[in-house]
Parts: sequence; structure tokens; C-alpha cells
Amino acid sequence: MKRSTRKKLQEALVSSPSLLWLSLFFLFPTLLVFILALRPANPYGGIGQGWTLQNLRRLTDPSYLEVSWRTLEISLITTVICLLLAVPIGYYLARLSLRWRNLLLMLIIIPFWTNFLIRIFAWKVLLHPEGLIKHLLVFLGLAGPQTSLLYNAGAVVLVSVYTFLPFTILPIYAAADKFDFQLLEAARDLGARRFQAFYRIFLPGIRRGLLTALLFVFIPALGSYVIPDIVGGPGGELIGNKIAQRVFVDRNLPLASAISAVLILSVLAPLIAVLFLQPKGKRPEIL
Amino acid sequence: MKRSRLPLIITIGVLVFLYLPIVILVINSFNASRFSTGWQGFSLGWYARLLHEPEIWRAARNSLAIAFGATAVSVIFGTMAAFALHRFARSRLQRFHYGLVYMPLVVPEILMGISLLMAFAAAGVRLGFGTIFLAHVTFCISFVAMTVLARLQDFDFAVIEAAQDLGAGWGTTLRKILLPLITPGILAGALLAFTLSIDDFVITFFVAGPGSTTLPIRIYSMIKYGSPPLINALSTILLAVTFTAVAVSQRISRSKVKL
Amino acid sequence: MKKRPTRFLLLLVAVTSLVGCGRSRPALNIYTWADYFKPDIIRRFEQENGCRMVIDTFDSNEAMYAKLKAGASGYDLLTPSSYMVSLMHSQEMLRPLDHGLLPNLVHVDPEYLEIAIDKTMDHSAPYMIVNTGLAYLKSKVADFVPSWSMFDRADLKGRITLLNDMRETIGAGLKSLGYSLNSTDPGELGRAKEVVLGWKAHIAKFENEQYKTGIASGEFLLVHSYSGDILQVQRENPDVGFAIPREGTAISVDDLVIPKTARQVRLAHAFINFLHDPRTAAENTIFLSYLCPNKEGYALLPVELRDNPAVFMPPDLRAKSEIFADLGAANALYVKIWDEIKSAK
Repeated sequence: MKRSTRKKLQEALVSSPSLLWLSLFFLFPTLLVFILALRPANPYGGIGQGWTLQNLRRLTDPSYLEVSWRTLEISLITTVICLLLAVPIGYYLARLSLRWRNLLLMLIIIPFWTNFLIRIFAWKVLLHPEGLIKHLLVFLGLAGPQTSLLYNAGAVVLVSVYTFLPFTILPIYAAADKFDFQLLEAARDLGARRFQAFYRIFLPGIRRGLLTALLFVFIPALGSYVIPDIVGGPGGELIGNKIAQRVFVDRNLPLASAISAVLILSVLAPLIAVLFLQPKGKRPEIL
Repeated sequence: MKRSRLPLIITIGVLVFLYLPIVILVINSFNASRFSTGWQGFSLGWYARLLHEPEIWRAARNSLAIAFGATAVSVIFGTMAAFALHRFARSRLQRFHYGLVYMPLVVPEILMGISLLMAFAAAGVRLGFGTIFLAHVTFCISFVAMTVLARLQDFDFAVIEAAQDLGAGWGTTLRKILLPLITPGILAGALLAFTLSIDDFVITFFVAGPGSTTLPIRIYSMIKYGSPPLINALSTILLAVTFTAVAVSQRISRSKVKL
Repeated sequence: MKKRPTRFLLLLVAVTSLVGCGRSRPALNIYTWADYFKPDIIRRFEQENGCRMVIDTFDSNEAMYAKLKAGASGYDLLTPSSYMVSLMHSQEMLRPLDHGLLPNLVHVDPEYLEIAIDKTMDHSAPYMIVNTGLAYLKSKVADFVPSWSMFDRADLKGRITLLNDMRETIGAGLKSLGYSLNSTDPGELGRAKEVVLGWKAHIAKFENEQYKTGIASGEFLLVHSYSGDILQVQRENPDVGFAIPREGTAISVDDLVIPKTARQVRLAHAFINFLHDPRTAAENTIFLSYLCPNKEGYALLPVELRDNPAVFMPPDLRAKSEIFADLGAANALYVKIWDEIKSAK
């Protein structure tokens, strides 16, 4: 009896700072978003009285489906590329000696302490139609003189990968660091090929890191709007741009909230299913 | 047994990729052109002008102060959260807790910013550094918690229990066993939190009050009428300082090893 | 365990010492565009009035409005564009101006006031006038015609940008057809939409700020742009030309307003008065290359600005140009069309 109450007390104590903080400063404002989604808007940017489903109804417009699809595509591609690059790097980092490891880690993160916008502008210089990269590609025959490296989906993916890469590398490194690499050697001794050992032992060994990395890219990518705004083309609007437009240009906060609410729910739904539809007392798959 | 060279090659490739824009950024800070028209001649003019821009320095100072503070608090709270989530994973409370930690990642920034502002306004809280700090800690906790949690995968608390059975108090256990084991995870989480805080624009824009400008807010508004090369110069200085600090600490750690 | 609290406390002290500083003089909080006042002028005002200027910046009217509407306060002076001013006035967010404290307002150009929205300067005083127009690279664009129809030029495809601004771009479409850019007639708007859709096929992207760098570096050949920006670019790249379309264009004005929640009301008035001192007005005009409509200030301007049609529009062009008015509920009409333009392939 005493052991379990002591355990419950411990649990409450350790969880309380983040639970309380997030409930106060995050849960409450987020609930506001869901409430706003059900309110009417007035044309002057204010929020009307009463409840309405008109915002949700407006979301059934086919243009939203198109934008959502495009956003999903670009976010998925960005995520896959980021993971493909981050796993080998996390692997390599974890095998280095401590000193080199910290050095390399700093080297990777330092570029991201400059400003986000300035980095994007630097990419615009790099991908300029009269720039070096373009000349190189034309010289190699990989591009025609009229092809534009900017203002298309490719540019959005490139800059997005650049922006989100450190957020994938760090959690994978955190997980890989504790991985016992001798397991891989043992597998090799038992006859496994290099790739087999990597795929069947290393990856599962860092599965939480992989999942975290995936979340750190995919979800922010879904909501991003600055990158498509600056390097995307005229037909390349993503759902984040739509939300921004609703807030600023249309002054329609309720509609923006409705879009966000749908976005939030569609990402949360799988999580909630996994977390709460499992037998109590069993460790949830995701943890 | 031959080790594959692939991870090393990819790492080097990615490093080059990461630094390409940085090289451009640094070069353009010496470019006399205000609009990056092409090379207009070498000039230290932007650095000279930086000396007369107290607003930018103030904003930079604010950003750094908030970033350090928010990182410190979110690392503590986030690590504790990760512990609770891993240790007590079976309980109902933790499932709710996990959902709560996971959600800030999911909510679009604009909405989070506006809803926080509305919440602050409704509660009569004055906008300023305090509100920015609160907002930053809020989204950083999630990132730190998830990163440390990744490190805790398969972590067996039997080690802790064994130490305590052998007579170690909580203090010793924490210091000598737990923390060393998860330090890489905490470090990764701290770097992440710092990076997020120092570069955040959208949420900060909404919850900042008069006089509590941060660097990203200043920069975004400078794009319209201001001179971006000033920021290139500032960034170059920041990079130089950071690299020097890293080099110095490497030197120190190397001499420690020698002893 | 003993080491950590001390280190943490030190960190906390360091943080708070970086952030807080002594406050002795009164502070005037201004919320405005970045680099919108000549730094010299700020310092002079601070010295003459024994105060401190705290300048916060926003990057768009809409962002500023969203923030204020959601409850932010503490600002004494704002510089929104006049359509935003009408909106804020209708939402009762602004204080009426006390003309007793603003003797310099007699210098405001009466010709400007004729087309202004707030003609009596009841709650706003004009600060800077911006003209929208076409910027182009003289050496690369053959047969340039100062007309909105330049956006129809298929030979420039992929090297054109339009402003990412609903009112400006739909307005350009309306103007090219000879309609008012404040039109709320669905037929006219529908036709303007078709025009803009035709233009959209030729553009590289919608762009509000980076067209400056774009045209200066030769990335773009023809951009929908603001006069002052291009004048600044021209100093660096003389190959860039600027023209106001002959069908008339949009005139934007940024106004000085005092929100109802302002605390330093007297100081805010003093600053508005200071900005309309003819010498100050001329200095700011030269600094930004826009135009402060201060009649006595015009005489203090250099020749290259006084004779520049981009700054002082010839009367016939000015007669065809308009200032944006707030559309009120009709905003929804424009929103729908802008949505359709943005989502079209």
C-alpha cells in the first residue's frame, strides 16, 4: 500500500511542473482556438456572439482539399529526405569520441543561430537565375537556361529540408548516443550483412528518436508559411499560407481557427487512438 | 571488419550543405550593395553602421537573455516531464501528460500566438518580456521533453533502484548516476530549445509589448524599409563570437585530457 | 545537488540584469514600420523634449491590426496606412487629434487633403505618401509602355512580379479597365479578376518586399512596386526605371494616429507636430524617398526629388489615381476573388 502511494506521489511531483505549466499556458489558449472556430466572424476582425457551424462548412470548399493535399505531399517529401540524411549523421556522431562529438554537434547547430529570414535570403542568392549553382547546372547539362531554381515546389522542399534538418539530427543523436554499438558487431559476427544489422538492430534501437525526429519535421512543415511565401511559386500555397491569409488579410479569426482546429485534430487523432485505445496497465506503443 | 564510409560522407556533405548559405551571408556582409545587386565592392560600412544602431543591439540582447532563460527553465521542466513519461508510462495521468506535451508541436504558430495574446489580454497581463518568456518556455518544454524521452528509450530504472538499495540518497543518485547517463539527451534538448527561442518570430510578435522587441521581430520589419546587410554583419559577428567560444572550449578540454 | 541551485541563480541574475534598466525619462512608445524616421530626427526630439523614444516595429498593417484587435496595448503612436486608419476609426480604436497642440498642421499640402479620406485630420495626420507603379530594367525590357497592360507581355514571362496585396493587385486590374480601385460592383470586380488571372500566368511570384533585390540584381525584369523603394534601388542600379501607369494608380498614405489606449498623449501630439515642421518633413522625405505632404517642406527638397514624376505626380495622372478606402463589409467580396486568384492554376 505504502509503496504504491509513495510511487503515485513521486509521479505527481515529477510531472507537476510541466503539467501545470502546459495546462495553464498552453491548454487554455488552445481551447480558445477550438471555441473560436465555432463563433461567427464580423468583417472588422472581431468575433461575433453566439455559435455557428458556418466556418466548418466553408472548409468543405474543394480548394482546401487541394491545398491540403499539396501541403501533405511537400511535408512528407521533406520529412523523408530529412530522416534519410539525419540517421547516418546521428549514427556517425554517436560513434565519435566525446570531444569530437560535441564539436560536430556545435558545428551543426551554430548556423541556426543566425536569423531564419537571412538564411532564406542567402538561399535566394544561391538559387538566383544568374547565380553560380544555376551556371553549374547548365554547364553539366542538368538544366536549361530558362529553368528557374526558385519559386517552385522544389525550392520549397530544399529550403524546408535545410530549416528542419537540425531538428531531426538532434533527437536521433540523443537516441543513438545510448545505443550499444557492440550489438552491431555481434550481429556481424553472427553473419548478418552490414545493411541488415543496421536495419534490424540499429533502427529499432533508436525508434523513439526516429519517431520524435519525424514529429519535429512533419508537423511544423504542415504549418509552415514563411518558406512557401518567400521561395514558393504563385501556385504553391500551403495550408499555413491559408491560415495566415485568413488571419491578416481576411481578418477572419474564426475561420483561421477552424482550419487550425481541423489541422490539429487530424494530427492528434492517430496519437489519441494509440494512447487511449490501449488496455490500461500496458505501456502504450508510442512510449 | 570494414566500416562503411557512407555515414562520414553524408555527414560531410550535409555540413557543406548547411554552411553554403552561411558563406553567402558572411560574404554579403562585406558587400557594399544594399540590395545584393551583385558585388559592389568590399566595404566595412555595414559593420560601421552597426555601431550606430542601438535598437538592433538592444533587440539582440533581449533575444539572448530570453533564449538563455527560457532554455534553462524548459530544460528543467522538460527533463522532469520526460522522466515522468518514461517511468510511469502505464498510468492514465501520463497518457494525458503525453498528449499535453505533444500538442504544442501540433498547433500552428499563428494561432498559438494569437490565442496566447487573447488569454493574456483577458487576464489583464501586461505584455512584455515576461509574456515572451512564458510563451517561449511553453513551446520549448515540449521539444526538450520529447528529445530527452528519446534518450530514455529502454532505460532501465533498476539501475536507480540498485543504487538506492546500496544506500545512495536522491542527491547522489541524481548527480552521479542519472544525469551523466542522460546528459547527451539534455544537451541536445537544450540546443534545440535555445535555437527555437532565439529564432522565434510569429509567437513572439503577438505577445511582445512596447519596448520588448526581439531580434527576429526587428529583422522581419527591417526587410521592408531597412537594410538587410546590417543583419548579415550582425550575424557574422555572432558567428565569429560563437566559433571563438567553441574553439576556446575545445582548447581547454584538450589541455584537460593531457593533464 | 549543491552546485546546481547556485549556478541557476547566477543565470537568473545574469538574465534579469541584461533585461532590466533604469527608467527616468518618460517614454514615448511608437509602433511603426522599421527605419521609418531619420535617426537624427529621433535624437533631436528626444533631446528637445527630455524623453525616450521606444520604437517597436511591425511588418504589415494587418499584423499590427490583428495584434491590437486581440488586445495588445501600450502604444502611444501608430503609423498605419489610411485604409487601415478608416477601419480602426470605425472600430473606435483612435483618439481625435487636438489641433490646439498641432500648429504645424497648417503646413499640410491642401491639394493632398482634397483627396484624403480624413480631410479634416480629425483623427489622423498624413506622414508619407507612396505611389504604386511599375519598375523595369531599361536595358532588358524593349518597348516599355507606362501602362498596366505591361503585365500582359508574354515575352517577359517568369520575370515579372505582382504585389502580394489583395487591394493593390485587384486594384491594378480595376484601374487597367478604367474602374475605381474602391469599386464594390461585382461585375467590375469579376472582369478585374479575369485580367489578373491573365497576368498571373506571366509572373514568377507574388512579392511585397523582395522585388527590390529582385530587380536590382536582375532576377526580375518588371515588378509591381512602390515609388520610394525603387528610388532607393536606382541609386545603386541606374538601369532601373520607374513609371506610373497612365491609367492611374494607387496612392497609399501612411498616417500618424494616436490609439485610445495611449498614455503619453501630449508627447504623442508633440511628435506629430515635430514631424510637420517643414525642415523635419523635408529631411524624412529625403531619407525615405517617399513624400511627406508638407507644402513648405517641398521648397527644401533637392531638385532630383522635386522634378521626379514618381514623387510629384503630374496633375492629370494624379486626377486618375486614388487612395484606398476601407471597404467595410464589401471586404468579403475582394477576399473571395483574391482566394480564387490565388488558387487558380
